[in-house]
Amino acid sequence: MAWEDSSFSSPKPFKFHGQEDYNSMNKSVDRLCSLLFACIGIGFILESRKITQSSFGGSGSVGSDIFPFGLGLILVLLSIGLFIETFKYKEQVSEKQNFNYKKFIIILVAGVLYGLFLEDIGYVIGTFLFLIIGFQTMNRGKWITSILISGVFSIGVYYLFVGVLQGNLPGFPAW
Amino acid sequence: MDAIQYLITGFSTALQWHNILFCMVGVIIGTAVGVLPGIGPMSGVALLIPITSSLTGGLEADQAAVSAIIMLCGVYYGAMYGGSTTSILLNTPGESSSVVTTLDGYQMAKQGRAGAALSISAIGSFVGGVVSIIGLVFLAGPLSNLAIKFGPAEYFSLMVLGLCAISGLAGKSIIKALMMTVFGLLLATIGMDSVSGVSRFTYDQPVLYQGLEFLTVAVGLFALGEVFKTIIENDNSEGQIAKFSKILPTKQDMKDSTGPVLRGSVLGFFIGVLPGAGATLASFFSYSMEKKISKHPEKFGQGAIEGVAAPETANNAASGGAMIPLLTLGIPGSGTTAILMGAFIMYDITPGPLLFPEHPTIAWGLIASMFIGNLMLLILNMPMVKVFAKIIETPSKYLLPIIVAVSVFGVYAVQVSTFDLMLLFGCGVVGYFLARNDFPLAPLVLGLVLGPMIENNLRRALTGSNGDFMIFLEKPGSLIFLLLAVLWISIPIVMKMRGKKVLINEEA
Repeated sequence: MAWEDSSFSSPKPFKFHGQEDYNSMNKSVDRLCSLLFACIGIGFILESRKITQSSFGGSGSVGSDIFPFGLGLILVLLSIGLFIETFKYKEQVSEKQNFNYKKFIIILVAGVLYGLFLEDIGYVIGTFLFLIIGFQTMNRGKWITSILISGVFSIGVYYLFVGVLQGNLPGFPAW
Repeated sequence: MDAIQYLITGFSTALQWHNILFCMVGVIIGTAVGVLPGIGPMSGVALLIPITSSLTGGLEADQAAVSAIIMLCGVYYGAMYGGSTTSILLNTPGESSSVVTTLDGYQMAKQGRAGAALSISAIGSFVGGVVSIIGLVFLAGPLSNLAIKFGPAEYFSLMVLGLCAISGLAGKSIIKALMMTVFGLLLATIGMDSVSGVSRFTYDQPVLYQGLEFLTVAVGLFALGEVFKTIIENDNSEGQIAKFSKILPTKQDMKDSTGPVLRGSVLGFFIGVLPGAGATLASFFSYSMEKKISKHPEKFGQGAIEGVAAPETANNAASGGAMIPLLTLGIPGSGTTAILMGAFIMYDITPGPLLFPEHPTIAWGLIASMFIGNLMLLILNMPMVKVFAKIIETPSKYLLPIIVAVSVFGVYAVQVSTFDLMLLFGCGVVGYFLARNDFPLAPLVLGLVLGPMIENNLRRALTGSNGDFMIFLEKPGSLIFLLLAVLWISIPIVMKMRGKKVLINEEA
């Protein structure tokens, strides 16, 4: 089977939701990634040497260090390959896009705090607060709808899971 | 006919009322997942794993497993049905296997034939699904009988082949795909080594002894990764949804699509069976094949119903075909089947040649339920096409934070640990960053799932040969698999060097 098809001529690249600039190859990011993964590979190689050997086996037995050691080696080689590859392709300049890093950071921080304090403030309050922050960050306004959806979601999920399915969730703060 | 008899037993499992219910919920959620932009089949299945596990909590172990897996598979092929809806109505595919459908589907919608396009894709999906399940019924037995003869060396090489196959077609750069595979395999080594009980890379952190939980990583990489991408790149493109009133296709439409549907089923099935080549490639190939053999190739792109019927049939047939290597060999051929395999493992069931003899209720119950699920989808989709079209309008303002909340709930409900929640968000950020820079995520998940098994087989084979690596080349079966793996990686590279365009499988 040949993975190539000449009859399929697509005049324009297909656009997924905002995927158009996935075509852009970014040399500096790729080089950075290759360095990063090379470091990860070296880390696994070095650390796998420290793995205490299991007692059973004997000569010729295969220890638990072989697999991560070999993989670390392959990862380093592949990273070098990627580094070399960055010299071969032409940099494609992607059009400027306005990235919404602010919204992303707010939601990420809110999410991490939500996760960290879930056990302290309980599922219902935590989820309610997170959703309100999330909705309002995405798009300001419509407070009543936001409060309604957050409330229904957090209380609904909690009672379905704990009440009906007898699951285990920290419901409300202990205090 | 052994297979038929087993299948009848399978139906008795699948027709239990709670399993029918699970199947129905699965396919409806799956269709919604396919319709909604921002959640693909991979994140849909990953997100539902914890929910199914809590839903099936009250059942016995074997029963719970079969019900959960029926539901998750329903999500998988339901998403294939749903993906076409946005392609046709909005000109934006809900997932990558419906990309080609936009070419003729949206044209048909503009001509006011959206209803016909939607229903023909539902009919095609049904036929494709059923053909591939029939293939599964008859191939499952012989294949697992063959696979059961494999020793550890053959198994190791077969898994290497599976990994290479998915890496060779997974992204723009094969090197990046291979890096992701190796990275996934490395992540799988964290934790207690199952062979010797030695803890690796845990640094005395109790949370790491169990290893990185597959579910957490998958939900983080796919579901949160996609959410972050949508937030950052702000691509809630507000398109005009095409209106339509008539749903049923005309007689001429049916006549025109019979050929494409039948050819698409067979082609899609065989492409689906090949590891690495999933639903996306199947839809591309069947479209271009129809265009080649058509008497009026100029009609394609202008709203030819063949151009909707063929790819939509093929992508469903392929998703059924992809179940074959998963169920009989234990080797998932795509990202979504890798996640399904993770779900199997969570229920202590290892897909592979032993699945059919050891858990016949699960294996055949699942296959039977796929028949039922496809029938349900056909029945549901015809009248409910308009309801699903409404789902597209769900504002992302509410959708995205809720996906995050569902991910947190799912991970916490199963893992009950704050560490996993932090890992979840970490994986979300990493997933976004990697996908943004063309590092495909499917190979990473595949590596994570297959890692422990590859390592076990590697070490068992090496222990048998006293540490001699030549055993992998001496056993003929193993040698063949390794040669195929090399070819699978090198052929696309050679073709690229010759300047040919290589189709890749961007399954999201």
